[in-house]
Amino acid sequence: MSEIAAKAALKPARRRLLASRLVPYLLLQALIVIVTILGLRLLQPSDPEDYAVTDFSAREDGLTRPVTLPHFTSSRHSLADPPFYAGTFTFRSGDAASGWSVYLPRFSNAVEVAVNGVVVLDSRRDANANRPDRNTPQIAVIPASLLREGANEITVRLFVWGPLKGFLDTVYVGPDAALRPAYETRTLLFVTLPVVFSAWQAILGVILAIMWLMRRREPVYGVLAAAMVLGVVQAFAPPPVPPATVSRLAAVLLASAPIESALVVAFGVLFFGWRWPRYGTLLFVPGIVVFVVGLIGGPPLPRILFLVLGIPTVGLCLFLMACVTAIAVVRRQDAASFTIGCAVTIVLVCWVHDMLTVLELVNNDRIFVSRLSYSAMLVAIGAGLTWRFARALNQVDSFAGQLVTRVREAEERLKASFAREEERARAAALANERTRLMRDLHDGLGGQLVSIVALSERGHEGTAITDAARAALKDLRLVIDSMDDIGGDLMLALGSWRERATAQLRPHDIALDWRVATPQGLPLHPELRPWHVIQIVRILDEAVTNAVKHAQARRIAVTIDTFDAGQGAYGVISVTDDGSGFAPAGNGEAAGAGQTARGLRNMKGRAARCGAVLDLTSDNSGTRVRLKLPRRFPDSDLAAG
Amino acid sequence: MTEQGETGEAITILLVEDDAPTCWRLQDALAKAGYEVRSAGTLSEARQALAAGAPRVLLTDLRLPDGHGVELIREMRQRFPDTEIMVISALGDEESVISAITVGATGYLLKDAFPTDIATTVRDLVAGHSPISASIARFIVRRTQGAAQSSAEPPPGPALNTARLTPREIDILWGIAKGFSYAEIASHLGLSKQTVPGHIKNIYRKLEVHTRSEAVFEAVQQGLIKL
Repeated sequence: MSEIAAKAALKPARRRLLASRLVPYLLLQALIVIVTILGLRLLQPSDPEDYAVTDFSAREDGLTRPVTLPHFTSSRHSLADPPFYAGTFTFRSGDAASGWSVYLPRFSNAVEVAVNGVVVLDSRRDANANRPDRNTPQIAVIPASLLREGANEITVRLFVWGPLKGFLDTVYVGPDAALRPAYETRTLLFVTLPVVFSAWQAILGVILAIMWLMRRREPVYGVLAAAMVLGVVQAFAPPPVPPATVSRLAAVLLASAPIESALVVAFGVLFFGWRWPRYGTLLFVPGIVVFVVGLIGGPPLPRILFLVLGIPTVGLCLFLMACVTAIAVVRRQDAASFTIGCAVTIVLVCWVHDMLTVLELVNNDRIFVSRLSYSAMLVAIGAGLTWRFARALNQVDSFAGQLVTRVREAEERLKASFAREEERARAAALANERTRLMRDLHDGLGGQLVSIVALSERGHEGTAITDAARAALKDLRLVIDSMDDIGGDLMLALGSWRERATAQLRPHDIALDWRVATPQGLPLHPELRPWHVIQIVRILDEAVTNAVKHAQARRIAVTIDTFDAGQGAYGVISVTDDGSGFAPAGNGEAAGAGQTARGLRNMKGRAARCGAVLDLTSDNSGTRVRLKLPRRFPDSDLAAG
Repeated sequence: MTEQGETGEAITILLVEDDAPTCWRLQDALAKAGYEVRSAGTLSEARQALAAGAPRVLLTDLRLPDGHGVELIREMRQRFPDTEIMVISALGDEESVISAITVGATGYLLKDAFPTDIATTVRDLVAGHSPISASIARFIVRRTQGAAQSSAEPPPGPALNTARLTPREIDILWGIAKGFSYAEIASHLGLSKQTVPGHIKNIYRKLEVHTRSEAVFEAVQQGLIKL
């Protein structure tokens, strides 16, 4: 007990899930059973009871006794001396406007009807009419010449071939117009509809066979195609009705139902994605036994075997199929398993109904509905397959879509990596070029300029030459420095500039205040190029030089700040001095004004070329140059265009 | 005024520079500051001068008529480890400075520096303060990044092994590269201002590859070579 309890506790969630899914499904199936039973009751075709002829005298095996139709005879295997029914009906010529007919809604297996001794109907000529699994009605017009006013004699010879008992339903004799509608209804239900369904089955079989041929990996289609083909052959094969001479093969094909149902079970198992168990092959054994024995023994052996072996197998298969679908419903909860499950339940109910009819436990005029309901299952299977096919197409679509997206992403990544690689190669080429240039300049021009500085200093008269040579050296360093890959960090260039400016200002005894407002300095600009750096550094150089040469400043302050108004950060570099300033309006001394105006224009031009904005304010207390850097540096020279 | 070392004697400087005007200029500036300066125009002259005794400071150009300054620096480091070595450079570019650092130099001097700056730089060097420029610092830190990225092709410029630098030292180099003063760097990193020059000298020392065998040992330590 405790073990069971422990096991139960081990998987309570799974159990709960099972209960929550299985119970509603079983309730639904119970509902379907009820609806099916009610449906079968309601769909019972009604016959024109006014014209029923029920009182006959039956002669069977030499015994004559009065019977009331419908009537069962004993089972027999010989066509000789068939049960003979004789009865009378009353003909009134006043009703003969449309002629009279005799109508037999249900009989098994074949009838020969005679009126006043003349045969008007022999169903043995219509092979399909005699199949016990179909409920084929028969109607025949009675030639007017045969009819006599008043009582007429009608005789029916019922041919029976076992193992089922013979059966003769009520016989109707009356005006054709009154009997015909009932006959038409039965024909529609029990003749036309099965043909339609068989055609449907044939088409489905062809489609499935093609699918299987194209997709050998999925035996599910092949299995179902085989089941369909068997069903079609069974439906259209000529029934082995004695005395017709038929091949034994056709005879045993009629016993194909167990194989067909086993195939359907195999389909169900494969369709729901399980492996077909090895012992599952046993399910085919009864059908094959019927088949083989029938081939060897010949009629009526296959029919007997079919009854005792085949029909229970069909029932077993239906039950297994119901179980398989129930498990599938619990596990998958999808439309396909639900639909097929419901269809299987309907077929199962119909099979039970037919069994009860055969065993005469239920009196319902021996109407067999299994075959008909089998088509209900076909509809469900067709719907299930279509659903699955559509879903597969959708999956393919979405997969294709995903693939396209992935390919696009990969392309983008590749492009980006290619651009990065190009950028890296460019940077490497630039660095190599810079190294070469630097070595050349260092060994040549640089040393010579230093020599010039040294020589002119020694002569005590060449201050201008010294300054020019120093300026040339400074510019050379700037050019080399700006060629270095600083990774978009302008602070690195400004760091070098600070050193050079400090060195430049030291002899003049001018202090350089350096203030970086934010800890990280200026924002990074990946698009920053050497020529941007040169322009910015030259503007700063110009500002410092002006402060030294023209304004006699004692202090120069450089402030580096970053602003972010929400649309991206931008930097501002300010150079402020405490010199005497100059008048931008031009009312100062003429020469100085002209020079500063030119210098100012120059600085503004440089700023504009790299997308920056330059502001200059100057008064007696000093000059302030404010360089507002762009959020993004331009790719091409803005002033060149 | 005479610059004196701890022993009270004048600080001796060996100046190796082949360009005569530049040599005179530097010599003037240093002599005026009170240093005892000997000059040499070639590698062999420099070696002769060394025979007389080791100078306190060696200032050398790299490109010399009869050889390369790097050879002289390496020799000095081996024979006279106490001598402070500076490289004289026209442009102060990392190509020349870094190659000198890797053989044992601990600073550089611009050839066109103003006389006062020349004297100050030498004095600082003797006091244990190695000068470093923003562009040299930039070169070193970018090389540390390059080592981290481990790109397939070696970056241009002289070979440099930055693996021994500590994160703190790299932070200091970043500060210098971005133009921050020692005081600013010290306050950002929570250091005392006086310790920053010591860190820089350490950085130079760590970048130096002392001998061939040491270089091999270093390479093994860092997993560059498998024995």
